[in-house]
Amino acid sequence: MIEVLQKAVEYGEKLGAQFVDARYDDLTLRTLERTDDTWKDIQVKSRMGVGITCYVEGVSGYSFTASSTMKEVRAAAQKAFKMARASAPAAELRLPITKGSPSKSAPSDTLRVKIHPSERDLAYKVDLVNRTIEAAREHGANIKNVRGLYGELHGRKIFTNSEGSSVDWNYLVTDMRCFVISKADSGALVIGLEGNGGTFGLEYFESKGNTPEDVGGEAGSRAKEQLKAQPCPAGNLRALIDERLAGVLAHESFGHLSEADFVVTGASPLTNKIGSRLGTPEASILDSGLPDIRKTGGLWVPFDDQGVRGSSTTVLDKGVLLHYLHNRGTAERLSERPTGNSRAVSYVFPPIVRMTNTYFMPGNLSEQEALEKLDTGVYAIQSSGGQVEGNGSFLFIAVRGYWVEHGEIKYPLREVALSGNILELLTRVEGATRDLHIQSGYFGGCGKGDQSPLPVGLGGPKIVIGNVTFGGKA
Amino acid sequence: MEYESIKDELLSVADTGLKFAAKQDSSAEFEVYVHYGSVSRVELDQGMVTAKDGVAAGCAVRVAKGKRLGFACASGISTARVKKAVEESLSVVNSVSAEDDKFSGFCDPKKAGRECKFNRNILGVEVDELMRHCQDMTKEARSVDPRVKVVTAECRVLWDSYAVANSRGVQQASRSGSNRCLVYVMSIDGDERKTAYRHDAACDRLLHTEGLGKEAASEAVGQHHAKKLELTSVLPTLWGPEAAAAYVLSSLGQSAHGRAVVEHTSPLCDMMGAAIAGEGFTLVDEGQRPDGLGTEAVDAEGHPQMRNVIVENGILKGFLFNTYYGRLFGVGSTGNCSRGGGPFGTPIPYESVTGISAKALEVSPGTKTHDQLVSSIDGKGILIADDPMGIFHSTMSTGQFSVVANRVYLIEKGSRSYPLQPLSVAGNYYDGFKKLNGVGSNATLGLYGVRSPSLVFDGFTVVG
Repeated sequence: MIEVLQKAVEYGEKLGAQFVDARYDDLTLRTLERTDDTWKDIQVKSRMGVGITCYVEGVSGYSFTASSTMKEVRAAAQKAFKMARASAPAAELRLPITKGSPSKSAPSDTLRVKIHPSERDLAYKVDLVNRTIEAAREHGANIKNVRGLYGELHGRKIFTNSEGSSVDWNYLVTDMRCFVISKADSGALVIGLEGNGGTFGLEYFESKGNTPEDVGGEAGSRAKEQLKAQPCPAGNLRALIDERLAGVLAHESFGHLSEADFVVTGASPLTNKIGSRLGTPEASILDSGLPDIRKTGGLWVPFDDQGVRGSSTTVLDKGVLLHYLHNRGTAERLSERPTGNSRAVSYVFPPIVRMTNTYFMPGNLSEQEALEKLDTGVYAIQSSGGQVEGNGSFLFIAVRGYWVEHGEIKYPLREVALSGNILELLTRVEGATRDLHIQSGYFGGCGKGDQSPLPVGLGGPKIVIGNVTFGGKA
Repeated sequence: MEYESIKDELLSVADTGLKFAAKQDSSAEFEVYVHYGSVSRVELDQGMVTAKDGVAAGCAVRVAKGKRLGFACASGISTARVKKAVEESLSVVNSVSAEDDKFSGFCDPKKAGRECKFNRNILGVEVDELMRHCQDMTKEARSVDPRVKVVTAECRVLWDSYAVANSRGVQQASRSGSNRCLVYVMSIDGDERKTAYRHDAACDRLLHTEGLGKEAASEAVGQHHAKKLELTSVLPTLWGPEAAAAYVLSSLGQSAHGRAVVEHTSPLCDMMGAAIAGEGFTLVDEGQRPDGLGTEAVDAEGHPQMRNVIVENGILKGFLFNTYYGRLFGVGSTGNCSRGGGPFGTPIPYESVTGISAKALEVSPGTKTHDQLVSSIDGKGILIADDPMGIFHSTMSTGQFSVVANRVYLIEKGSRSYPLQPLSVAGNYYDGFKKLNGVGSNATLGLYGVRSPSLVFDGFTVVG
């Protein structure tokens, strides 16, 4: 396939493009979903296609095709060139790419796992989901609905460009989740959920804390606990957030603002703030395509969709803004190094600046010390999503929480929403625990523009924050 | 492929796939779905241009052997790719013993509905015209005020078609197209950043971009010098059309889905015929509106799309179903089968299994103008100008929501007062509908395809 891509690059250059890149995905996606006793979904997807980007005078044109024939790939290259050429006169801000050294991949760039999902049959995966559901039922109460999910994504990603790059590696994501809905005596529905994914072999789902019994049992137990949970008080309160919520904070509220496509246009409030102190010394945020997965979990991204080798980028270093996240054009524009953050959801979309694994760095507190530091406030746990606006305001939903008084957990809280402005919040980070966990997976992911969901990793330690606005009951 | 002949071509591909499938296993029931979608998109972001032009095409096959079900899909619609999807779906169904004992067959054939009224001139819009629209909107926005620092304009033309064939005799296809634009403006004054957007979308006419940049910029600039509310209290909230559309979509737009009803995850599941909203509230899913962006002849499994009343004068009247859940509920399909539908849609629907989504939700307009709704609020109230942050992250099952409203104004003594800094609004969707205190006459098509007027709710907690 690399030969077809190389010919497309040559054709684009012949048409007049100053730089061309071409990529090919041949991915398999498998989803299993059981709701109560019914199998809702057992499916397999073959996602194969080619994407071509042509650059004319610093303007990119993109096209794609689901075909891998030379004729169709050439037609895509021609469309990409035409789009770039037609758009170029209107551009006021150009992001040209200067030719450099080609990227070359090696077999070791693909993360090796003990049991690749392609080595186990469907019955094995069906059993994983069945065990999850049974465990949820065993540990739950007043259950109205229980849902178990398994997902896997794997396959080849091939890339070349005008520099003669030759990148060929295998992508892998596996995931298992459980959702439980229970009904309280008041008639209100409450939820419990658990699960995790990332670049894992199936041996991960046999490890402590991650077995179907662990995942289902935790989801059931949490829904049961929520039956007696109280609404969160509204107002400005002290907060302790868990690893998963810290990850959403790192990703949604800070990570997106550090994406350099927002910076070169001036849309990000982090524009022109390199070297500025934005947070307390306890706040450090990294983005890395190459995390230590055995230790922390996460997603393995050795190359981005512009063929740039994955790396670790310290975005915020002890409260000081150090670096933005880039594609090749924004890195050149801002004279920073490319960070391997140009990613696309699939061949249907052009690569844009996206995160890989974004997380807060751990501190030195134990969980008990973090609770004592919190003193009185909300311990917010897990997340069902979040959002940030260009002005830095954010909102996250924590699935559940606890009310804490004088360092002691008092009672469970229902779903809580945290909001505020990220630049203010970073100045209120008071401490972090020693643990680091990165959450990733097949289900859900990051949305930006019309590209969603992109698998990403996000995480951190538990973090104590001085003052957060909680939406709740007045 | 051309728009005029696309349906015949896709039907031919689907039929070929179905015949191949029947040869592989005559004891199984099959459904073959084939999709072809063309998109041209141009974005002008602070002078930085990105342009895209391509075709997403793919096929999906569902197979049933008794109560065992399988699904497979493949990008591409060549014979080889359709055959691959058929073979993969059979390998799924033959390798598991898991059954869905509620399954009772795919969609039965019925007479198709109508397609949207599509203006063929949209097909002739070239990339330079899209670019010109982007430049015009940007220029307009920048001319409003020097504080307008960031302007992003986007225009797109898209058309697509799909065909469905199944073993029960369904052989249906539909096609539609539209052109859409969006302008997003950020005004910066010191550390204060204020944003606003405007959009247009149509299938029956070419885009109207004139005035959008100016309106968005004026609204963004008008929010400067926002004050802090300095209050935690329960206040009446007036949701403008964009905000109200988002509220409806993330609440009843999800909980009226047949799956949530049948599986008891919707709080509406035992409430048919009950009063769930104020008397002035009527909600319809209009799958056959001639100029509707969600209008198709058939849904994603070949059932005719329809007009479905969900709430009429506050009374819950109906839910939205595909064939599977409609049969389980005993009412049949309402033509709401989707593949990857929902607020944000997908350019690759063939990758999604069949689900349920509203086609075009419409809240019937009331009699009061937006200004009359403002003046109807005694004392303090809050005006939420557009969709608040986090509205799509709330849980339909519990109805609890907590959002951050960014474009928000104080209402005092019946008139709109000064802009406020972002504030948190929290409550319960369903309690809100019961405390609905006003429905405006200003129904507008929102960014996510829902048509709603302004709505006034009592009882939400505001923190700011």
